[in-house]
Amino acid sequence: MVNAGLVERFAAAAREAGAEVLGVSGLNAAFSAVAGLLDKEKTKKVAASAAVQAAGGADRLLVSLPRNPQEFSQTRVSLVRADYGIAETGTLVRLDSDDGEKMLWTLAATCVCLLDRDRIVPDVESLAGVLSEHLSRPGTPGSQVSLVTGPSRTADIECQLTIGVQGPSRLVIILVAGARGGR
Amino acid sequence: MKPRDVDAALKAALQSFYESWSGKRATSFAGSDFEALRERLAKVRDAAIDDQEALLARFEEEARRHGSQVLRAEDGAEANRIILEILERHGAKTVVKSKSMVSEETGLNAALARHGVAARETDLGEWIVQLAGEAPTHMVMPAIHLTRAGVARIFAVRLGRKVVDDIPSLVRIAREELRHEILAAPAGLTGANALIAESGAVMLVTNEGNGRLVSSLPPVHIVLTTTEKVLPNTADALLLLRLLTRNATGQPVTSYVSFIAGPHRAAQYIVLLDNHRSELRTDPRFREVLRCIKCSACLNVCPVYQVVGGGVFSHVYMGGIGSLLTAWIHGLRESADLAGLCLGCHRCEEVCATKIPIGGLVAALRERLVRETGGRLWKRIALDGVLARPALQRGIFRAGRAARPAIQKEGYARGLPLWMKKYDRFRALPAPAKKSLTRLFHEDEAGRRRDAGGAKGPLTLFPGCLVQNIYPGVGLAAGRVLARLGYEVRLGPGGCCGFPAWNAGHTDAALRAFLAVFQVLEGEGPIITLCPTCTTMLARVGPELVRERRDRKPGGRRAAVPEVEELERCAGRVAAFSQFLACHEKGALERLLPGSGTAESIAYHDSCHHKYVLGASGASREILKMASGAEPAELPGAASCCGFAGVFSIDHAEVSEALLADRLAAVSAAGADVVALDCPGCLLQIRGGCARRGLKVEVRHTAEILDERLRDR
Repeated sequence: MVNAGLVERFAAAAREAGAEVLGVSGLNAAFSAVAGLLDKEKTKKVAASAAVQAAGGADRLLVSLPRNPQEFSQTRVSLVRADYGIAETGTLVRLDSDDGEKMLWTLAATCVCLLDRDRIVPDVESLAGVLSEHLSRPGTPGSQVSLVTGPSRTADIECQLTIGVQGPSRLVIILVAGARGGR
Repeated sequence: MKPRDVDAALKAALQSFYESWSGKRATSFAGSDFEALRERLAKVRDAAIDDQEALLARFEEEARRHGSQVLRAEDGAEANRIILEILERHGAKTVVKSKSMVSEETGLNAALARHGVAARETDLGEWIVQLAGEAPTHMVMPAIHLTRAGVARIFAVRLGRKVVDDIPSLVRIAREELRHEILAAPAGLTGANALIAESGAVMLVTNEGNGRLVSSLPPVHIVLTTTEKVLPNTADALLLLRLLTRNATGQPVTSYVSFIAGPHRAAQYIVLLDNHRSELRTDPRFREVLRCIKCSACLNVCPVYQVVGGGVFSHVYMGGIGSLLTAWIHGLRESADLAGLCLGCHRCEEVCATKIPIGGLVAALRERLVRETGGRLWKRIALDGVLARPALQRGIFRAGRAARPAIQKEGYARGLPLWMKKYDRFRALPAPAKKSLTRLFHEDEAGRRRDAGGAKGPLTLFPGCLVQNIYPGVGLAAGRVLARLGYEVRLGPGGCCGFPAWNAGHTDAALRAFLAVFQVLEGEGPIITLCPTCTTMLARVGPELVRERRDRKPGGRRAAVPEVEELERCAGRVAAFSQFLACHEKGALERLLPGSGTAESIAYHDSCHHKYVLGASGASREILKMASGAEPAELPGAASCCGFAGVFSIDHAEVSEALLADRLAAVSAAGADVVALDCPGCLLQIRGGCARRGLKVEVRHTAEILDERLRDR
């Protein structure tokens, strides 16, 4: 059951943090939206994470997966999928991204992220148990959790907020309704 | 390291940062209970510090289980050696870094450079500062002292690139250069904002994303952090996060927060540095310092920091909290200059994320400094020799009054010796009053009797030394108001309460002065003070000093020291003038005050101890509103302190002058006829400053304003 209030709050907070937020119904519509974004960016290629490809439906996009950091660094648009959203702060939560995926989140100029509307929680504390369990998973190489809120930013020169200093300068969040009901 | 030059451009940058930060911070905490949150975090941090060894053992075990290597370093040199060995083992000639104050603490960059390893900063601010060959001036905003033009010059010279000096272009250049560095680097080094024992995970909080890049792109990731950062679990780390980002930058959360359990690529090393923190941990007086989460909120609100910045007010760590960390990490003597720069205004305590009583701890640090180094000679003479001897004090002021015709003009001192000029230049120093308060009070007795019959019983008015000798009119006014309200007003001792000595670290003198005053105060009824600093001394610091002394020397010279119950009873009777009235006499005042408002407009100056220690600003505003018929106006601006702070204005006349200049600018901007305040020290500073600048503003104590209004009727 999606709590519409949470979705609203998430979208408002994410926009406040400098992200763009779109809402679509179903994965099909989500990939159409991505295709639209690519057109606007005048590129056909998108570097998509394994999580996105596993969701299916990305086959109609021209998906590439860079092989090394240098190639990732040249990526114009990346497509990733978050595990949770945090309404209070407009934060995307990703559990355990592998090397390549982490680079997609951080090295591309524009990062597009899919988020299921029913995976939005009120605040970061609501995820304490999930995070704790995930990080405590035994064995090597261990686990990671990333919280990403808006594009990369700095205010280090004259305290002026400037976007895109190290990571993406554009973060687009596509909120997907009924993502798990198939395509 | 003495602050010779107050840099106007830096001051403007810091104050404008403060303005924007405080607004964002307030918004980010809106709807949440900051007091409850920081209370919880303080408890969590205290418990973790108590349990530190067990938590670290758990952290190490879990981190190793994930394949990380954990190494302990006793001191900075050992940490640097360990990191050098790691880099050599991996054949790394460069290491890219995200912001790490701990690496500044150990002098890592220089240590690596000596062995031919280049450490490259990747946080934009740190990178700029590194290119410029300077040290950071703020823990969160390292390059806050540089303008865009300055940054452009540094880029042009150091990078040999053509540079346009608009900020987006500068940031774009940084992005290209830094990304190139990070992609090529064989190793990356980060700090940690928390270590999570239950999972062996490291929490890393950044905005730019460089922490994320540095920790995940190079094959080797080194975490350099300190032992006190360990917390039991993720929930505790999230509580810390909630306060950290809001307090540090006013953001609900920063752009990137990473939890890393185990190596991302080839190898991860976690270097846990102690560097005397275990000594701090076992020191019952100072261990609270370890609660610090390095959010820097205390710096942002610090009046001195706002004027001189972290270049002057630092020894790696900055501000009042920096003096405390420095005393343990880099040695007691290294902390002396920093401890001396603290005004003791306690404003930092209002924003501290873990409720560290920074102001009180800095005073305690000064005591240690005096004990170990003897302190400065003039302070020994002034504080131990004069201040703690009421009879000598009286003699000096008597002599001053006798010499008055020769040394004063219109109430201000004249013909001062040359060495005193720098204290008199920016604010006219007052001459002693014609008559002491004791004398005036005696003369006025019949008038007070006439006003009321003393039906409410006895009340002691404690004037403090400035009111007793310089501003007796304030004491007289307060006496009249209280008599009118029905109290039988007695005048307490005119000697010093001992606070200036305590604040300067001369505890013995402070205790002597306090006890001399205390013995005369025994008896019945409220003790009303006209100075928030005296209130603080009589109600809190003095009794605490006696208690400490008892604990330290049980059985020693008992006769001279009052019993604890006696002390507490006396402390409980003490109240600041306006606080007492707001609490007990509002109804009576309403009946006595004229219904009409005043023609004069009033602005209110918050005295530091009145506001941050006693929490009495609201009471004063209430009383002034009743007296004048209108809400007193607020003085605008980032600065709050007038710069007096007793001995501080002598030790750091230049900073005192700069703070006063800001306050006077605020007074001018407010455009009020009267500036009301509740502290004779602020009265001295602001009235003297107005006199020097020819500002046509009356500066008056709340008691004077109230008395005048009652007589208006």
